Amino acid sequence: MSKLLRINTKEKTYTFEEAGELAALGGRALTSKMILDEVPATCHPLSKSNKLVIAPGLLGGTPAFNSGRLSVGAKSPLTGGIKESNAGGLVAQKLAKMDIKAVVLEDKPEIDDAFSMLVIKKDSVEFLPADEYAGQGTNATINGLWDKYGKRTAVMCIGQAGEQRLTGASIQLADPKGHAGRACGRGGLGAVMGSKKIKAIVVDDTSADKVPVADPEAFKEANKKWGRLLKDHPVTGQGLPSFGTAILVNIVNEAGALPTKNFREGRFEFAQDISGERMVELINERGGVPTEGCHPGCVIRCSQVYHDKNGKYLTSGFEYETIWGFGSNLLVKDYDEIAMMDAICDDVGVDTIEMAGSLGVAMEGGLIQWGDGQAAIDLLNKIKTGDPLGKIIGNGAAFTGKALGVDRVPVVKNQTIPAYDPRAVKGVGVTYATSPMGADHTAGYSVTANILKVGGDVNPLKKENNIELSKNLQIATAAIDAAGLCLFVAFAVLDSDNGIQLIVDMINARYGLSLTPDDVIALGKSILENENEFNRRAGFTKKDDQLPSFFKDERLPPHNTTWDFTEEELQTAKVS
Amino acid sequence: MGTILFNAFASLQQKLKDKNQEFANVTIQIPHDYTAADLIKDMALAPEDVEAVFINGTVKPFDSILHDGDRIALVPPGTPGPYRVFLGMKNKNNRSGN
Ligand code: SF4
Repeated sequence: MSKLLRINTKEKTYTFEEAGELAALGGRALTSKMILDEVPATCHPLSKSNKLVIAPGLLGGTPAFNSGRLSVGAKSPLTGGIKESNAGGLVAQKLAKMDIKAVVLEDKPEIDDAFSMLVIKKDSVEFLPADEYAGQGTNATINGLWDKYGKRTAVMCIGQAGEQRLTGASIQLADPKGHAGRACGRGGLGAVMGSKKIKAIVVDDTSADKVPVADPEAFKEANKKWGRLLKDHPVTGQGLPSFGTAILVNIVNEAGALPTKNFREGRFEFAQDISGERMVELINERGGVPTEGCHPGCVIRCSQVYHDKNGKYLTSGFEYETIWGFGSNLLVKDYDEIAMMDAICDDVGVDTIEMAGSLGVAMEGGLIQWGDGQAAIDLLNKIKTGDPLGKIIGNGAAFTGKALGVDRVPVVKNQTIPAYDPRAVKGVGVTYATSPMGADHTAGYSVTANILKVGGDVNPLKKENNIELSKNLQIATAAIDAAGLCLFVAFAVLDSDNGIQLIVDMINARYGLSLTPDDVIALGKSILENENEFNRRAGFTKKDDQLPSFFKDERLPPHNTTWDFTEEELQTAKVS
Repeated sequence: MGTILFNAFASLQQKLKDKNQEFANVTIQIPHDYTAADLIKDMALAPEDVEAVFINGTVKPFDSILHDGDRIALVPPGTPGPYRVFLGMKNKNNRSGN
C-alpha cells in the first residue's frame, strides 16, 4: 500500500498514512497537488504553514532507465509562488522502494532551536541531533553521514546557506560517489528545509523489497526498447555523453543567444575557452571523468568530474547553465575559476543560476569588477560565514539589485533568467515569462514533436509559432517530471514516434493501468493548472508574467532583436 | 571570390583534427556561387555528419550560397532536443539541395 510519510518537525513525530487518491500521482504531479491543497497560498514561505514535499516519480525505483529523479516542492521563498525543483542522486529510488510516495515536512520548531537530522527507514523515522553537521558544508555532511550509515544510504542535506534560510539556498543530494554535486537548486527550497531545522535526511532502504511491477514481462519489453531509444539517439547516445550539456556553449553563442555581461550581448569573445569541447579536453588532460550518471540506471550520463590543475577533484555535474552563469555572464574566461564557483555553490548549498544572477548584478553595481573571477569567488565564500555581503548575494539577484541600487536585474518572478537570451531564442523567453516556476529553462525542456504537433519552421528571432511551442513544451515537461524521468530523455523522445508510448507502456506495466499518451498529456496539463491556480491564489497576475523592461528597450547584438510580445499574447501560452 | 570565417563544433572538431584540418576561427577563401554543401564536401565531411549550418548566427539550408565576410559554423547531430526546435534546426529541410 503506497504511503505518505508526514513528519512534524516541531513535535518531532511522524505518521505513515495511506496515500489514497494521491497514489495515482508521482513526482511534480504529486508535489504540486499537495502544495495546492495543503499550503495556504498567501502564507510566508518560511512559516510553519509551508510544507516541503519530497517525492519520487511514477517510475521511481523501477529498472526503467533514467527514472531516478526526485521532485521537491513547496511555496518558494524566492518567487513567492509554487515551486518544484528536480534532481538526481539516490533518494528517489530508495523512497520508491519503500513504497513511500512522498515525505512531507510540516510545521516548524522555534527559530533558535538546534538542527536535527532524519533517518528514514522502511517503517520508522529517527530524529537525531545534527550538532556535528550544523555549520558544515554539504560535502562534509554527506561524508560524515556515509561514514556513519554506510555508502548504500541516500543523503540529501542543506549547506550553510539553507541554515541561514537564504532565498538562493538549494538542497544538495549525494551522487553515487558521494559528491554533493546534485542540486534541487531553484527557488530557495533549501531555505524551507532550513526553516524546519532539518539539516539532513538519510534514507536507508535496507529491508525494503523491490518495487512491485504488475506486468513484469511487458515492463521489461518496454524498458528494453526505451534503453535502445536513448542509446541510439545522437543527442542522448553521443552528444550528451561526450560533452555534457556544455555542448551548448558554442552553439548558443553561434546563435547569438549566449547572454554576455549581464545580458548585454549575445556572443562572448571567449566562448571557445569555456566551451564543452574545451571542458572535455581539460578533463581528459587532468584525469577527470568525462561522463558519468547522476543516479544508477542513467544510460545518458551527461554528468562529469572536473579536476583542478593539480589533478585533484574540484567539482562534478558541471552544467551548461553554470558555465554560462559564471563565464560569459560575468566576462570570466578561466575554466578553473568557473569550476571553483560551481564547487563553492554546491558545498555551501546555493543555486548556481541564482548566484550567477547575483554576481552579475554585483558587477553591474560596481561591488566587484567585470571579469574578476577571483573577486567573484571571494564573494561567494562569504555566504558560508554569514557575512552580510554573503547574505545579500545568497538571497539572489533581485535582492542584490535592491541592496546595490541596480535596475538591470534579469529576473522573472524574482528568479534569475538562465542561459539563453530571450530576445534571440524567443520560444524560451515565452517559457521564462509564463512558467508558474519563474524564469526557468527546464520548465519547457521537452516535448514530442508528433504528439504535440510542435514543429513547423520555428524562427528563434521572430514571434510566430513560439507561443504554441513554449506552451506544448511546458505541458510535456510537466508530464515527464511526474514520471520521475530525467528531462534529457526528451531529447530522444522528441524525435521518436513511439517515445511517449514507451513511457506510457512502462507506467501501465508498473501499475496495471491502461493509460494512453493523451492521458499523460492531460496529466501534464493538470499539473500546470494546479500550479497556476496556486499562484493566482498567492496574488500573481499577468503583470507578473513579464520579462524585465530592458529586454524590450535594448537591442541584442548580433541580431539586434528586442523582446516584443504583448501581455495578452503571453497569456495565451498559459494553461488555464 | 571572398573569405568566410569558419568554425566546427562538438564531434566535428575531432573529425577535422583527424584529417589535419583546422576547425576554430579559420579564414577560408571561397569561389563564386559556393554553397554550405560545397563547404561540407570540401572539408571531406559526409552530409550526415552535419545537422545544421549557421550562417551569420542563423540556421540556414545547406544549399545557401555563401558570401564574402560570412560567418559559418557546422553543427553535428547531438544538439539537445528543445534547442534544436527553439533554434530552428529542426524541420529546416536542411538537406534540400543535397
Ligand atoms: S542524463 Fe544527466 S541529468 Fe539525466 S539522469 Fe543522466 S546524469 Fe542525470
